[in-house]
Amino acid sequence: MKRLVLASMSAAVLLFTGCSQKNPDVDMTKNQKMEKVNNTNANAGDTSGMNSNNMDSNSMNQNSMAQNDKNALKYLIANLESQLRPVNFDFDKYNIREDMKPVVANSATVLDGDKAQKFSVKLEGNCDEWGTDEYNYALGLKRAKSVKDALNAQGVGADRMMIVSYGESNPVCTDKTKACWAKNRRVEFKLLP
Amino acid sequence: MIRKIILLLFFAYSLFAYDATVEIVKKLDTLPKIAVQDASDATEDIGLRKKFFKILVGDLRVSAHFRPLGDYLQSSYEGSISENFLNKKNVDLILRFRLKSQDNLLIANVKLINASSGEVKNETNYKMQNRRRFPFLAHRIIVGINDLIGAPSIKWMEQFVIFSKYTGKRTSQIVVSDYTLSFQKTIVKGGLNIFPKWADKLQDAFYYTSYNGYLPTLYKVDLNNGQRKKIISAKGMLVCSDVSEDGEKLLLTMAPNDQADIYLYDLRYKQLERITKYSGIDVNGNFVDNDKKVIFISDRLGYPNIFSKTFGSSGIEQMVYHGKNNNSVSALDNYIVYSSREKRSEFGGNVFNLYLISTKTDYIRQLTANGKNLYPRFAQDKDTILFIKHFKNQSSLGVIRLNANKSFLFPLKVGKIQSIDW
Repeated sequence: MKRLVLASMSAAVLLFTGCSQKNPDVDMTKNQKMEKVNNTNANAGDTSGMNSNNMDSNSMNQNSMAQNDKNALKYLIANLESQLRPVNFDFDKYNIREDMKPVVANSATVLDGDKAQKFSVKLEGNCDEWGTDEYNYALGLKRAKSVKDALNAQGVGADRMMIVSYGESNPVCTDKTKACWAKNRRVEFKLLP
Repeated sequence: MIRKIILLLFFAYSLFAYDATVEIVKKLDTLPKIAVQDASDATEDIGLRKKFFKILVGDLRVSAHFRPLGDYLQSSYEGSISENFLNKKNVDLILRFRLKSQDNLLIANVKLINASSGEVKNETNYKMQNRRRFPFLAHRIIVGINDLIGAPSIKWMEQFVIFSKYTGKRTSQIVVSDYTLSFQKTIVKGGLNIFPKWADKLQDAFYYTSYNGYLPTLYKVDLNNGQRKKIISAKGMLVCSDVSEDGEKLLLTMAPNDQADIYLYDLRYKQLERITKYSGIDVNGNFVDNDKKVIFISDRLGYPNIFSKTFGSSGIEQMVYHGKNNNSVSALDNYIVYSSREKRSEFGGNVFNLYLISTKTDYIRQLTANGKNLYPRFAQDKDTILFIKHFKNQSSLGVIRLNANKSFLFPLKVGKIQSIDW
């Protein structure tokens, strides 16, 4: 991935103007696609010599069971995440509001439950569209940290949790209304296997 | 006549160039009036010629050293009596250009003519390898014309701007442009790529943060060969806020312990030093005072404000005593420009305005009056500031000419500008 930067070289010449050319394309989409292609190739390498005609029913069953396990895991994560409501914040604040404390308590209960224990938790801090983005990324991070600390105080292991901020880049609502901005000031939970 | 104008221009600048925080309320009416004539052959693309003309006139206006005539005038390149003496239009100077395309090469022959005497004061030929970059050719011409009349340099017009723009949810692109956005080239796309920052004054390389891997990661991209190099990764968030004069040190905002603080990263030794240790928010570090000091934004008073710290010392100094939400800052020499929210509520007409202060005086100068004005950045001279303006669902690049007390906006057609550097 690190070495897959696609950059078209350009000669740095702009003659009399003294301007340099700035042409490279670093296309992350292409990089990700190429990574997927490479993974596919790696899988193909593992099964070299096999084709659909000589695969026995045993390996097909194994594939099918693995797929079922994946689907079950996916379903379980989706089910648990649906029980985790976002924690909302006041404008420009990162302390947990009184009305959000039950939301955090409920999240702690879900995350400490038997089904969720095996997952790590990613806490994603988000902001509304107001303010400079650099400050907003820090504000989003502080919101995630507040939730992490509150969960930890209620028994969720700190080593299971990681935090990240998306600033204002990840809105759930794009209307220009007070209600919409309030929805965007939030911390969301993502479970990681 | 021209000499007198130049002398008056110098006199005018010597009067008001002492302190940029002092607002000029009355402008001397002595700027030379200049007409721009298109002398290109009829076979040249008329669309390109008109765009070129528009950028030339715009640059003359933004320079604040000329009074350009907005009329699109055509002429022969050699010029007749009626073309060389524009008595009816009462102009002092004529800028005449002739564009010629040769494959991908664009050539501009340019004359500066004294409209009173008909005398050609200067003739220069410019060329550019890539036709798409014609806005930079226009900027170069105006920088040259400006130098010819002896006005203060406007070489900043040739600086490349680099910015990130949101194009969707967790999706952004990094774009290199000129200051008017007439030229734009997307150089990073796919996923969330933000906070681009030029690596040095040559603008041959830049840093940016990618949010596309497991951890936010800072990369450096060399524009000469397109190579991308990983600098550092960090949990939570990562921003390259500033680069030292020698290009060897970075001021980063990062949170390896879940806590956003300012860090100094030495590229030579790959050493990371934590500069601030506050339990709240510290972001947006800027080198000042020959890189001996850092100014930054902190909420240590309960709201975002601007503070400074000398490297190697523990003391923190509050820099601004105005406003209750100063959330972005940039500094050059003894000048500080910052963005301040006018009201504590998220509603209200005036939301974020830019202010300029000098560390040597008590003056505060308000630079904007409406909309959300964010992310101010000084040009390589301290007379010009670039900033982001969001107003009525429109995202624009703004340019403030401090001495002339003028500002100009260049709207982005698609997307929302996330951050800028130049």
